[in-house]
Amino acid sequence: MIEVEGLSKRYVDKEAVANVSFFVPEGEVLGFLGPNGAGKTTTMRMITGYLEPTAGQVRVAGIDVARDPLAARAAIGYLPENVALYPEMRVEEYLRFRAAVEGVPRAEVKARIAEVSERCMVADVGRQLCGTLSKGYRQRVGLAGALIHRPKVLILDEPTIGLDPRQIVKIRELLRELGRDHTVILSTHILPEVEQVCRRVLIIDRGSIVADGTPEQLRAGLTGSSELTVEIEAPGDGVATALAALPGAAEVQQEGDGRYRVVVEAGVDLRRQVFQLAVARGWVLLGLAQSTPSLEDVFLRLTTRDVAAEEAAQVEEVGRA
Amino acid sequence: MRKTLALVRRELVAYFSSPLAYVILTAFLFFNGYVFWLIVAFLNDPRSQAMAPLKLFFGGTIFFWLFLLFMVPVITMRLLAEERRSGTLEVLLTSPVSEGQVVFGKFLAALLFYLFLWLPTLVYVLILATHSAIDPGPVAAGYLGILLLGILFAAVGLLTSALAKNQIVAAVFAFAVLVVLFSVGLLEQLVSTPWLKGALGYMNLWDHMDDFARGLVDTRHVVYQLSVAGLSLFLATKALEASKGR
Repeated sequence: MIEVEGLSKRYVDKEAVANVSFFVPEGEVLGFLGPNGAGKTTTMRMITGYLEPTAGQVRVAGIDVARDPLAARAAIGYLPENVALYPEMRVEEYLRFRAAVEGVPRAEVKARIAEVSERCMVADVGRQLCGTLSKGYRQRVGLAGALIHRPKVLILDEPTIGLDPRQIVKIRELLRELGRDHTVILSTHILPEVEQVCRRVLIIDRGSIVADGTPEQLRAGLTGSSELTVEIEAPGDGVATALAALPGAAEVQQEGDGRYRVVVEAGVDLRRQVFQLAVARGWVLLGLAQSTPSLEDVFLRLTTRDVAAEEAAQVEEVGRA
Repeated sequence: MRKTLALVRRELVAYFSSPLAYVILTAFLFFNGYVFWLIVAFLNDPRSQAMAPLKLFFGGTIFFWLFLLFMVPVITMRLLAEERRSGTLEVLLTSPVSEGQVVFGKFLAALLFYLFLWLPTLVYVLILATHSAIDPGPVAAGYLGILLLGILFAAVGLLTSALAKNQIVAAVFAFAVLVVLFSVGLLEQLVSTPWLKGALGYMNLWDHMDDFARGLVDTRHVVYQLSVAGLSLFLATKALEASKGR
């Protein structure tokens, strides 16, 4: 549904997006993750056609955004990062304006406004001026506007920012529901949101994609290692050595009285071996817990490792100079 | 067409819900009333030569020009600069309307507001008509001149609003360009080279308006003003398209 090929955006002094390619099939909800300034907004703006890429091309619903911008825009519902409404218009007026501009058939306008107002929970502020709305309402009115022409593709730049927890839950529900009949790209930096809403995650850092997969895949595959917390009651202190000797154990740390943290190599499950070890030695196994890293760990590892490496490189350069 | 109309309607809502519109309206009425009174008083003096008061009213005095040069930039300054500043332009340019439609819709709204300003001046025509016979031809031509100037000035103002990042800059920029457009024709009096005098005369807006007020509709004037307006609107569209490259 959305095909992005070799997309780049260069500014005079920096490359905001560098050779990004991905494909989003119909009906998928794709989460766009990345630290601030990673190029999420720039990429989304290029998909909507608001920014022209320096290189590469975007096809939305089979339409080349550069070649036929109007048709592509008609297929997209877009919620920008800073939702801007016209302060002097009433919410209903604004939605009617959006309906006309987006090309909603005249006879359907009224029903559509009622539909999106209901869906985005803004029906109660229909008569209010947009300029007097709270941030949460502004966000939802913007979303209502983006949905009014029933676009095939939704591009949402941080849709839950500025909402209160109750509204966030409702909007996430709405996003999941929208995922059923729309193709959605949403950017966020709230990680639990991605796990709850998205079937697939793209992590972008300094203009490049650094990870692509389902939240489970990212947690399992990309981090490499997992951790095992073992509690063993044993006389003497041969436990750490015995654990370290297990094949697949990378590192063992004693964390307290009888508690050990074992870092396990990728793809290895040591729980059986630990149990059998305890049985063989006559130790009492009090606890055994395996923890896969959270998406947060994945994110931090992927986006900060580079920073550390870069800093190291810089230090080296300074040293050389 | 429907999209353009929606843009025009939105822009008119914006005009009439801002205090600026009423300030301009009031100032315009006050100022025109004063000028009209001056002209009538002046012509009432038996020593002054006989002239049609409406001819003086339509561009015959410097007051007319001063006010127009100042007022139109204020009407147009907001149109695109404010949308860019607030971020609403992003929504507008990612909806299925072309840049040309956006520019034309905004231009039309500014022109309608400008014409709305002139609407009350029809009262002066009525007042004069009750006291003496007026010649409808020159009056109609005078209003045509007003319309053409509005088209020209609003197009230039919209262009500067498309280029500027904030509305004050847009207004000052528009004022500067309009003053140049207006005064370049006046240089006609100062040069003696025949071809240059001819060229400047062709661009002399004061003379154009004078002709219209006398009831003379010269197509050269119409063509000049419409083509400058057309060029400005074209450039405004291009400026809007070019902003995507940023």
